[in-house]
Amino acid sequence: MSCPKTEHLLQEYLADDLTAVARDEIEKHLLDCAGCHSELETLLMTQASLRGWQEQRVPHWNRSLNLFQHEQRSAANARVWSAWQWLPTAASCAMLAILLLNVSVLNDEQGFSISIGGRSEAKAGLDAAISALQTQQRAELQELVTRVEDRLDSNSVSLLRAVMEQTQQTTAENFEQLYAYFEQQRLLDLQDMRVGYEELVNSDYETIRSLQQLATFVSYEGNVR
Amino acid sequence: MSLIEEDEALIAAALNGSAYAWEKLVKRFESRVYNLGLRLTGNPTDALDLMQEVFLGVYRNLHRFRGDAKFSSWLFRIAHNKAVDMNRRKRLMTVQSRLTSEDEDEGFDIFPGDAREEPEHKLNEIETNQRIIRLLAKLPMEQRLVVELKIFQSLTFDEIALMQEISENTAKTRFYTALKKLKDIAEDQHVLS
Repeated sequence: MSCPKTEHLLQEYLADDLTAVARDEIEKHLLDCAGCHSELETLLMTQASLRGWQEQRVPHWNRSLNLFQHEQRSAANARVWSAWQWLPTAASCAMLAILLLNVSVLNDEQGFSISIGGRSEAKAGLDAAISALQTQQRAELQELVTRVEDRLDSNSVSLLRAVMEQTQQTTAENFEQLYAYFEQQRLLDLQDMRVGYEELVNSDYETIRSLQQLATFVSYEGNVR
Repeated sequence: MSLIEEDEALIAAALNGSAYAWEKLVKRFESRVYNLGLRLTGNPTDALDLMQEVFLGVYRNLHRFRGDAKFSSWLFRIAHNKAVDMNRRKRLMTVQSRLTSEDEDEGFDIFPGDAREEPEHKLNEIETNQRIIRLLAKLPMEQRLVVELKIFQSLTFDEIALMQEISENTAKTRFYTALKKLKDIAEDQHVLS
């Protein structure tokens, strides 16, 4: 199918409001254009195929007027109930509006009066109350901050102390080990010194003994002469 | 008395509380509405639900019917809106996904009862209707409704456009597009089978 007019022409042809002239024009085109003709044939076949629907019998159901009246009453009740369900929301909105708009109701001998926004003295009082509340809240906040900071400080000190204790303990152990090492070295040095001294003394004794022997020999030589 | 005049007389009597007139009015249109429901929803349970909703809508709004249009057009406008509502509530979407699933040819049981017990002509009838429902299920609801209203309810494009709140030309295009799609699907199925 390559005719560019197919879609437009067939759309119109299948419509129910086509004038006789327009219908003749389209039918004339259909005689000449094989593509449009073939497309129309298959579309009409599809339509006919759908029209082959076989009516199904309605199953048994309650169509009595009473049932419909009852259903309508139930629906009406449901609508009333659903309308009442809005009541809490509406009340909340009204209260919020009263708060936001600062609505005040005055009851005096002249009757009721409702004002929006409040009077100036009432406003001044309200401003003072708000200011006092702000100051109080600021002080409370400051106190809270201080308390938190204190708590944080005490936590830090405890931590530092624990770290230092740990460090001190480690340092003491290290000093003990160092002291033991030095002591051991000192004892070894003393031992070495004693050995060296004894060797030196022995050597001196030998020297003296040699000198004695030499002196003895010299005196012996003198006696002989 | 013409059918339209009969309808108007029944409506007037029903509004005056005549149970007989109401039931007669319902019986006049219930088969058309039920079969519309079958074609749109694809199963008898939803079709029955839709039919009940439609007649409840008719009962509630009967006092508003002015008689400036045919009662059938007015009633099918309600049916159209109820079908759209039903579809919006995803009930028809579920049916559609079931109908268009890959194994649709297996266990596809639109109509209740054991098919083996049905006489042959009844079986052919069921088969034809199942084929039509399968085809229609491939269309989006707005196109399915146009096909339903045009082919099965013989409404004009003017009336359909009013119901769907679209222009008459859009209604024509929608119908043509739907028909072309159904033709293509039917051709594909014919080639595959």
